[in-house]
Amino acid sequence: MARSHAHGAYAIDRLTHDSGMGGWNPAFKAVLALGTLVICLAADCMAVSLAVIVSLAALQRVKGGLPLGTYLGLLRVPLVFLLLGCLAVAFDLSRAPAGDWYVGLRWFYVCTTAGQLAAAAALLLKALGAVSAMYLLALTTTASELTGVLRRAHLPPLLCELMYLIYRFIFVLLDTHERMHTAADARLGWRDFRTACRSFGGVAGNLLVLALRKSRVYDDAMDARGYDGTLCFLEEDKPLRRVQLVWTAVFWAALLLLRLVARQKGA
Amino acid sequence: MAVDTPVLQARGLCFSYDGRTNALDSVSLDIRAGERLAVLGQNGAGKSTLFLCLNGVLAPTAGEVLLHGQPMRGKRRRALCAQVGIVFQQADDQIIASTVAGEVSFGPMNLRLPRDEVVRRVDRALDCMELQPLRSRPPHELSGGEKKRVTIADILAMESEVILFDEPGASLDPAGEARLEGVLERLSGAGKTLVIATHDMGFAFRWATRAVVFSGGRLIADGTPEEVFRNEAALAAAHLKKPAMLEVFELLRARGLVPADAPCPKTPAALERLLK
Repeated sequence: MARSHAHGAYAIDRLTHDSGMGGWNPAFKAVLALGTLVICLAADCMAVSLAVIVSLAALQRVKGGLPLGTYLGLLRVPLVFLLLGCLAVAFDLSRAPAGDWYVGLRWFYVCTTAGQLAAAAALLLKALGAVSAMYLLALTTTASELTGVLRRAHLPPLLCELMYLIYRFIFVLLDTHERMHTAADARLGWRDFRTACRSFGGVAGNLLVLALRKSRVYDDAMDARGYDGTLCFLEEDKPLRRVQLVWTAVFWAALLLLRLVARQKGA
Repeated sequence: MAVDTPVLQARGLCFSYDGRTNALDSVSLDIRAGERLAVLGQNGAGKSTLFLCLNGVLAPTAGEVLLHGQPMRGKRRRALCAQVGIVFQQADDQIIASTVAGEVSFGPMNLRLPRDEVVRRVDRALDCMELQPLRSRPPHELSGGEKKRVTIADILAMESEVILFDEPGASLDPAGEARLEGVLERLSGAGKTLVIATHDMGFAFRWATRAVVFSGGRLIADGTPEEVFRNEAALAAAHLKKPAMLEVFELLRARGLVPADAPCPKTPAALERLLK
């Protein structure tokens, strides 16, 4: 193994390759994730959202072998955004005291009602459920497989090929960037703000030049192996298992049932 | 087809990147089946350009490339890459797929082979390069030596008759180099024609059955490694060094410690036998 990066693009990429669900049929995973996403959004029901969050976390833990801590850590980033968004839903600002509860600040009041808080909580859970559904796909399926699924879903081939190559070049350029960054570091390139700005400019400029040069070399290398305008690779066969289909049906049915029950109780 | 028709020939090959200076200047070279040819010369002497012309990526500005005696001009030029593969110097310049198996399949897929055949070839190439355990890994997780093996597997999967290596030993550690030599030995044993551009004179001397020297886009020497490395004029023109083995041997011979008519041994072990 060349290196083990613990952050950024490398981290998620690593997870997809190590995932216990890596052997699942990628198209199936895409359908499962999208279907669950749609149910979670359409149900618009806290119980369903919670069920989606918990069951998908359990799936990632049990079938994917992803440590719960890592999973929660990855959820933290979207969670911060969601919380900020929900704050705006939960609280109002007004000049006069209003709502069920309020806090008086010098010039205005921050106020809220029970209904607003419930709506914000429901929104937060719904969004988190949706993120969990997308993570089911993102953390278990490699980028190349995802491109393969999109290709079969009749996304224009040019876009698929671009996605495929961009994915590869992200890592090529990250690697190049890392080396240039270290080389600048070795010459005190980041010692203070002014120097750092200059180094950053130099590194970025060089990266552009290198990217252009590399594109030419890659073109030659692809031609040398008979590239004629369509990019194709062998994709490993990952058969769909019947038991997976059955579980998916059971899972979705349970979610729908949960919604019916929750609505009846609510009504 | 005559028995001794060279596999690959260059006839009066010229190539220019900018239209003014010739990167290749009327190069004529016959490459025979099963040969182990070392291509020597400084950086910028035209070795890589020659490879790209021989493989059909670059169209020569003058002259032609012949495969089994057939001129490969116009549309036929692109057919060269099916029979002549290049292993690029920088593995990262060659690897484009995001898994090892996908990468190795790129060439066979471009040959429009049926899926079963592609699977068979990919498996064989991965077996040969001992890459099976890494088959679904992304290339950016591999070490330098592993990437090099992937790039060789790339070409093996195309099952081309001639394989051109552009400085394969560069950026490999000694263990990687030893492994590479083992691979080259096996390929040669399997009847492949191998052409290697290298700066490692010791390796060229030991491994090749024939060596050519390039300088300024021209071919200035051609012969057995021993002949080429005794060609002082060519070595001086191309700024090449003699292999240490040959230098030591000449010193020993000057002092009468080895028979005057013995050929230069290629390895320390062979020298030891000669000294006994």
